[in-house]
Amino acid sequence: MTQMTALDTLVPGPLSLAGHRLGTPQQAGALTMVPISGPAHPGFAPPRTGLHLSGVPGYGRVELTNTAATGVAIVPLHIGYIQDRAQNHALCRSAFLTPGQSLLFEDACCVQAGQGGHLTGRDQWFFVLPLELRARALDLRGLHDYPKLWDDIADLNARHGLPRRGHLEQILSRRRPMLTQFQSRLELLPGQVGALFLVADRFAGLEIAPDPAYFAEMWAPLTCFAYGVAAWHAEPTPPNGPPNGPRTGPRTGPRTGARGALRLRAGEDGTAGLRAALERARAARLADIGARLAAVPTGPVELREEDRHLDLRLSTVTAPHLAGQIVTRHDRTVYASLFAR
Amino acid sequence: MDTPTFLAHLQTHDTPLTLPRGGALRWDDADLHRAVHARDAEEYALLGLAPGARPWQRARVLLQILAASQAGLDERARAVPARAVPARAVPARVVRVLTLGLPPAHVITVLLALRRLRANHKHTTRAVLRFVLEHPHADALIAARRPALLDCFEHALGTTTARGCARRIDAGDTASDYLRRRLLRFLTAPTAAASARVRALYTPDPANNPAHDPAAPAAVPASVDGHATTVLDRPVLPVDTPRPHPPTVTVTDRGDIAATLVHLYRDGPTEDLYVALCRHVGAAAAAFPRFEGTLALVLDASASMRGHGDREWAPLSQAAALRMVLSQVCARLEVIEVGGDERAPRGATDLATGVLDALGTDPDLVAVVSDGYENLFPGDLARVVAALPRAGVTTPVVFCHVMFTGGDDLRLRRPAPSLPQRGFWHQDDFAELLPWMFAHCPAGAPWLRAALHARLDALDRQADDLTPGLAA
Repeated sequence: MTQMTALDTLVPGPLSLAGHRLGTPQQAGALTMVPISGPAHPGFAPPRTGLHLSGVPGYGRVELTNTAATGVAIVPLHIGYIQDRAQNHALCRSAFLTPGQSLLFEDACCVQAGQGGHLTGRDQWFFVLPLELRARALDLRGLHDYPKLWDDIADLNARHGLPRRGHLEQILSRRRPMLTQFQSRLELLPGQVGALFLVADRFAGLEIAPDPAYFAEMWAPLTCFAYGVAAWHAEPTPPNGPPNGPRTGPRTGPRTGARGALRLRAGEDGTAGLRAALERARAARLADIGARLAAVPTGPVELREEDRHLDLRLSTVTAPHLAGQIVTRHDRTVYASLFAR
Repeated sequence: MDTPTFLAHLQTHDTPLTLPRGGALRWDDADLHRAVHARDAEEYALLGLAPGARPWQRARVLLQILAASQAGLDERARAVPARAVPARAVPARVVRVLTLGLPPAHVITVLLALRRLRANHKHTTRAVLRFVLEHPHADALIAARRPALLDCFEHALGTTTARGCARRIDAGDTASDYLRRRLLRFLTAPTAAASARVRALYTPDPANNPAHDPAAPAAVPASVDGHATTVLDRPVLPVDTPRPHPPTVTVTDRGDIAATLVHLYRDGPTEDLYVALCRHVGAAAAAFPRFEGTLALVLDASASMRGHGDREWAPLSQAAALRMVLSQVCARLEVIEVGGDERAPRGATDLATGVLDALGTDPDLVAVVSDGYENLFPGDLARVVAALPRAGVTTPVVFCHVMFTGGDDLRLRRPAPSLPQRGFWHQDDFAELLPWMFAHCPAGAPWLRAALHARLDALDRQADDLTPGLAA
C-alpha cells in the first residue's frame, strides 16, 4: 500500500509510531484490516502463553499471573476469560506484570449475569471485549462493581436480536462459528505487529503489540471478538442456498465486494489487459481506504498515566474520536489498544 | 447440457422415479437424460458409472439405455475412429453392471417403467429376462416382488409367449425349439434354476417357490452399516466403495497422504515418512489415467490454509495431497502458490493474481485450490473471472474448495460464485473431484472416457465373480 499518514493523523501529538508502516488492506465482509509492521520491542511475555488466569476469588475479582520466566507482561486491554466452573469476567484496563507476579484486579466486570452456563472448551481461552462495550468498560475502570457492564451487554444482545440479558456469552457462544471464521477470513502477515481495523468502512480501532509473537496471540481475540462482533452485525446476510456441495454455474448474485467484471479499456485484452485493469481497480480502492482513514475526525489527545514499570509508562488516551490505553517507552509506543468512540 | 454440469446433476439430483397407479411414469429430468443420450450414447452410459452418481440417477441411466432403440448406434460410432469396441457393447455392459449395482427395488421400478413406456427392444428383453431369471438373488426377489416381476417377464416376452414358455417349462420342456427361440436365447446360461424361477413367477403360493437364497432372505431384514435392509435394498455389486463416516473427523483421518503430510509438517522430515508418502501418492495416482494436457493449479498457501487448534495443518495437507496426486497424473502441472508456500503457509490471499499467473502458463484448465477465504481485495477473483470472456480468454477455470469435513458451511467462502466449484476434504474425494475437474476442458474428454472405461472394466470383472457365465 502506498505510504499513508493515517497513523500520524489518528494518533497525533505525543504518541510516536515512528517506524510503523501500513500494509495492504485485507477485507472480510464488513471488516477491513490494515496490517501494521514496525519495530519489535523484545522482552515482553506474550499474553496467551505468558499470562494465566490464576483465580476468580469472587465476583468482580480476577487474578492473573505472569508465568513467563522472563519478560514483563502487558495485560491486553479489555481481555476477558471464558472458563469452566467460574463466572466469566473481563478486565476494564491494562496493567504490567513482572515475571512470576500475580495481580488481583478488583475492578473486573462480570460478563455473565446469573448462571448462564459456560462455553465448553478444553483450554482456558480469552477474548477482548467487543468494540461496542470498550468505551464504557474503559470509563468504568477502577470501579469495584462487578455487574457494572450488564446493562450495556444487555443492550448489545438486544441489538443482535438476542434476549436482553447481561450474558456476553450469548454472542460469544451463539455466534462463535461465524465469529471465529474471522481469524481465517483475515490473515496474519509475517512480522505483523499491529493493525488498523475498519468496520463498514469506518475507523474502528488501532492495535499495536510489542512484537509479532505478542500480536499473533492477540490475532484471534481481536479479529473474532473485539472487532468481529461489530463487523458480523454490519455484514450483509450470507447468500441463501446450500451450505456446501457442488456448484456449477451461478445460482446467486455476486457476493458483496464483487461489483461485476473488471473494466477493460479499448485495446486491452488477454491476461496482460486483465492485469492492467486489475491494477487500476486496486489502486482506486487503496486510495479510497486511505481517504477514509484521512477523513477520520481528530481532536486533541489527552494522556493520563496509570501505571509505570521501570521506563515503561501505561497511559489512558482520550480524544474526541478515540480512546484506549497505550504503553510507551521513552515516548516510543510499545503497545496500543485504541478504539473509535 | 455440458458434461460437468450433467455429472453434477447425476451426483446431486436423487429424486425417485415413480409409477403412480394408473398414471404416467414420473421422471422429472427425462428430457435432460434423453438429450445427453442422443448426443453420445456410449459416453452417456459411461457417465452413469461416474463415482458419486446417485442411485436414482443411475436408475434413470439404466431406464434411458433400455428404453432407447440401438438402431444406428454402430453407424454413428464408426464416425469416431478412436473407438475400438462396437458402440452397443458399452451400454450393454453398463446395463449389466447397473442391474447388479443398483438396489433391486430401483431396478424393478425401471423395468416396470419400461413396461409403462412400452419399450420392448431386443436389448430391453435381454436385460429384463437376465435380471428376473439370473440375478444372484433372483429367488429371493421373486419371493418378495412376484407380481411385479411377472409383469416385467410378460412385458419382455409378450404375455402370450411368456405364458406359452411357462406352460412348456411346467410340462418339463427344457430345450425345445420354441423355448430356445423365444426365451433361452436371451439368457446367458439356460439352467434348471431359470426354469424353476419361471415356474415360481406363475406360482402364487410362496411354499412352492424354489429354495431361498440363504445369503439373501427376502423377508428377513439384514443389516448393512447399521441400517436395516432387505434384499430389495441391497445391491450385490457396490459401484461406489462405501465411505466410512467417523463420528469425529481429525486431521489424520482424511486419507493416508494427508495424514502422512500432517506428521511431516508437525514433526519434521523423517525417511520413514517420506517413503510412506511416496507409496501413498503412487497408489492414489495409479487409480487414474494420465491427463495429457496442461493443468495450472492455483494453490492457496496463505495463513488460513495452515488452520489452527485441533485443525492445524488439515487444509494444507489435503490441498498438498491433491497437488501431489495431480503431479503424477498430469503430463504437465504448473503450480502457482498464493501467499506462502506448501511448507510454510503464510500471508494474505490474492486469488485473482494467482489465476492470471496461471493463465499465463497457457494451460488447458485452471483449478483454484483454496479454503475460499479471499481477503486481499476480495471480489477480485469474481471480477477477473467475469472479465475473462471480454478479454478473449476461453480457458476454463474451476474452484476446488478445501474443507475440513463434508459438512463445512461454505456460504462465506465462495469468492467467485459464478465459477464451477466443488469441495473435497478426504483423499477418497479425489475419485469424484478429478473427473469433475477434467470434464471442464476439451483435453479432459479422452481422460474422462479412459477413466470411466477403466471403471467399467473393473466393475465388469467384479460382476464376473458374482455371476460366472453371466456375460454382458
